[in-house]
Amino acid sequence: MKGRFYKGAILLLLAAPVITLLGFDKISNKMISDFSLRNTDSRYVSLKDYPDAKGFIIVFTCNHCPFAKLYPPRLNDLNQKYKPLGVPLLAISSTDTIVYEEDTYPMMVAKAKKEHFNFPYLFDEMQAVAKNFQAQKTPHAFVIWKENGRWEVKYSGAIDDNGAEPDKVKNRYAANAVDALLGGKEVPIKETKSIGCQINFRPLPASPKER
Amino acid sequence: MLLRNLFAGAILLLLSFNSYGQYNTLHIPDTLSGTTFNLNIRDTFVQFRPGNQTITAGINGAFWGPTLFLNKGDSVYMNVHNFHNDTTTLHWHGMHLPAVMDGGPHQTIPPGTIWQPYWKVTNNAATFWYHPHLHMKTEEQLAAGLGGFIIIRDAVEAALPLPRTYGVDDLPLVLTSRSFDASNAFIHVSPYGDYMLVNGTMNPQVSLPKQYVRLRILNAELERGYNLGFSDNRTFYVIGNDGGLLDAPVPVTRVKLLVGERVEILVNLGSDAIGSGVDLEAFNAGMPFGFPGSEPSTTGAFGSLLNNINFPILHINVAAATAGAITALPAVLVTNTYLTAADATVTRTLNVTDGTPGGPGGPGTPFYFDHTPFALATINKTVDLNTVEMWSVTNNNVFGHSFHIHDIQFKILSRSSGPVNSYESGWKDTYYLGVNETVTFVAKFSDYADDIHPFMYHCHMAPHEDGGLMGQFVVKDATGVATTKQPGDFTIYPNPANNRVYVLLADPAMQVYYITITNAVGRTMYMLPRPQLAGGIDVSNFAPGVYLMQLTDEQTKKTIVKRFVKE
Ligand SMILES: [Cu+2]
Repeated sequence: MKGRFYKGAILLLLAAPVITLLGFDKISNKMISDFSLRNTDSRYVSLKDYPDAKGFIIVFTCNHCPFAKLYPPRLNDLNQKYKPLGVPLLAISSTDTIVYEEDTYPMMVAKAKKEHFNFPYLFDEMQAVAKNFQAQKTPHAFVIWKENGRWEVKYSGAIDDNGAEPDKVKNRYAANAVDALLGGKEVPIKETKSIGCQINFRPLPASPKER
Repeated sequence: MLLRNLFAGAILLLLSFNSYGQYNTLHIPDTLSGTTFNLNIRDTFVQFRPGNQTITAGINGAFWGPTLFLNKGDSVYMNVHNFHNDTTTLHWHGMHLPAVMDGGPHQTIPPGTIWQPYWKVTNNAATFWYHPHLHMKTEEQLAAGLGGFIIIRDAVEAALPLPRTYGVDDLPLVLTSRSFDASNAFIHVSPYGDYMLVNGTMNPQVSLPKQYVRLRILNAELERGYNLGFSDNRTFYVIGNDGGLLDAPVPVTRVKLLVGERVEILVNLGSDAIGSGVDLEAFNAGMPFGFPGSEPSTTGAFGSLLNNINFPILHINVAAATAGAITALPAVLVTNTYLTAADATVTRTLNVTDGTPGGPGGPGTPFYFDHTPFALATINKTVDLNTVEMWSVTNNNVFGHSFHIHDIQFKILSRSSGPVNSYESGWKDTYYLGVNETVTFVAKFSDYADDIHPFMYHCHMAPHEDGGLMGQFVVKDATGVATTKQPGDFTIYPNPANNRVYVLLADPAMQVYYITITNAVGRTMYMLPRPQLAGGIDVSNFAPGVYLMQLTDEQTKKTIVKRFVKE
């Protein structure tokens, strides 16, 4: 316990409570501005295209991440159940396509077709929407709700509590949030940690001379 | 194909990790052999505990990579493909090779890039390993699960009557520990994990045959040391250190193994009843102050449920002997000719300095060598090629360390605390440097001069290394005369290219030090240290577009950039 410098510990010890507090604060107040992103059918999609929507399930996901690969059937189920209730699901891919060839737009088109996505799969090429949401991992789910004509974040975090074993899921965080909101109730768990591959925001382009 | 392997790995681990609270079958890492090795670094996940999976990083798998079998004398070629979403490096720990191939903090592999180092294997038969070495990120990337064994074979070792059937009577054991949060994600409040992992298996057990078995044990912890022994205190035999076999087996009942060190042991199960069991155990209770993991706290900055206690590492079930079992201990192993103090023409001293006490309330300040924090741009030592040097490293400081130096294998000459342990009498590249101790070693810096890319010396405890307890040295060929030539020019053909591009050097005698190819949006496609260019460079997988080739020539170390088009 003596004489060690442990950078990670400093970050964790100092940052963890701060992030939790800020995060919680943000979740209950955070407003999301509308966006316009290209779907895999090449049309652009915005929130305002759904005038009757009460809310949305927004899932930041991607093609390459092994953890994200576990969820497409569950995303289809969520959209199938909640879209008719006025809460459609939109999936957004915001990972760095300079790094991941697998996440480029043509590959997204192929993925949406292969997995029979029944929801839009939107390409956030500039990573601007992920930054606006402060999406951390793929997958990272948000439930947003219309409050006085604005979109407010009501839930942020994991879709549920078991990625690889859907039959062992105990807590369907995102679905529970939607159920509560549809019933006019308080969301029981407003925030969890999203689990998966870190969404790395692209740094400024490096000079080609740099090694 | 790659994806399938990844999922196969994940599923395998799923099965072996599923039952928490009872024994799980020890995972034996897959093997790769030959002279070309494809290593794919990825983000992935593992079912360590009931409930959600733990996000990890793996090489060709889910946690910890394949064991690479290399033959002494072979030239080996590595295709390291970084699919991980962060820059990394891959260091070949213990290996004698050119600095530009070493995989230290300077040989960074950006995401999406293929790095192709190669070298001739000159090390003797022993157990080595590979792991990330990115400055300030080593702890994070090691913790995620990146790393793997390298086992070198040679004719001398092959002629000895030793167990060498991998996974049967010759087992690699990588020791580490991790802690988990409520969603089963790894957490690193402390560098000491709460749960032991052997080859990535929690609570492992293995069936071993009733005969002499060989265990190749690597401490790949972030910080904890292990005081190894068996639960019945039986004598076992150290046959090899970091860099090769000892002259003869050394009988012991305990071996201290610090981060980065390897030890090869023989243990005789020939007198055990079939069906009986014995544990490989950490006798860490009551270890002296400064031994990493001797702290009493179970929580907080340096806390762990495994601190300052004895705990089982691996449960061994004794099974029937195999055909061709090794039933006797060899009296002698190999003939080593060690360097002595008299061989050294240069002596150096290093001191561990700075570093203030941490505690349950938080960590202290970083350790340095000689009050100098590690800086990528500073070369701390220059060693003349082919010199035998004696280094004394002194730690009059508040905590123990695990000293490691790249490029060489050395011989420990003395410990100020007492005699050098008989079990560390062979070729070493890493050792325990206790509190108030000076350890002196001797080594020859041969073969690989390079005044650009340095080798590292550092504490192998990841938080210390990331904190700056590291320095770097270049090996310089004093006979080489620096020239003031112009950088060597070149042309690329065909341009536009389809499958391969060829490099035509303006001066055919010119040697290429480094080629980097980037695409138009800035992704590094290839990093090719000292590429062999006769067969051209494969660009068949490149998307059509414009690419930049940066070529650095060996003599001037200057870089010229040219464009080519892939059709
Ligand atoms: Cu240290």
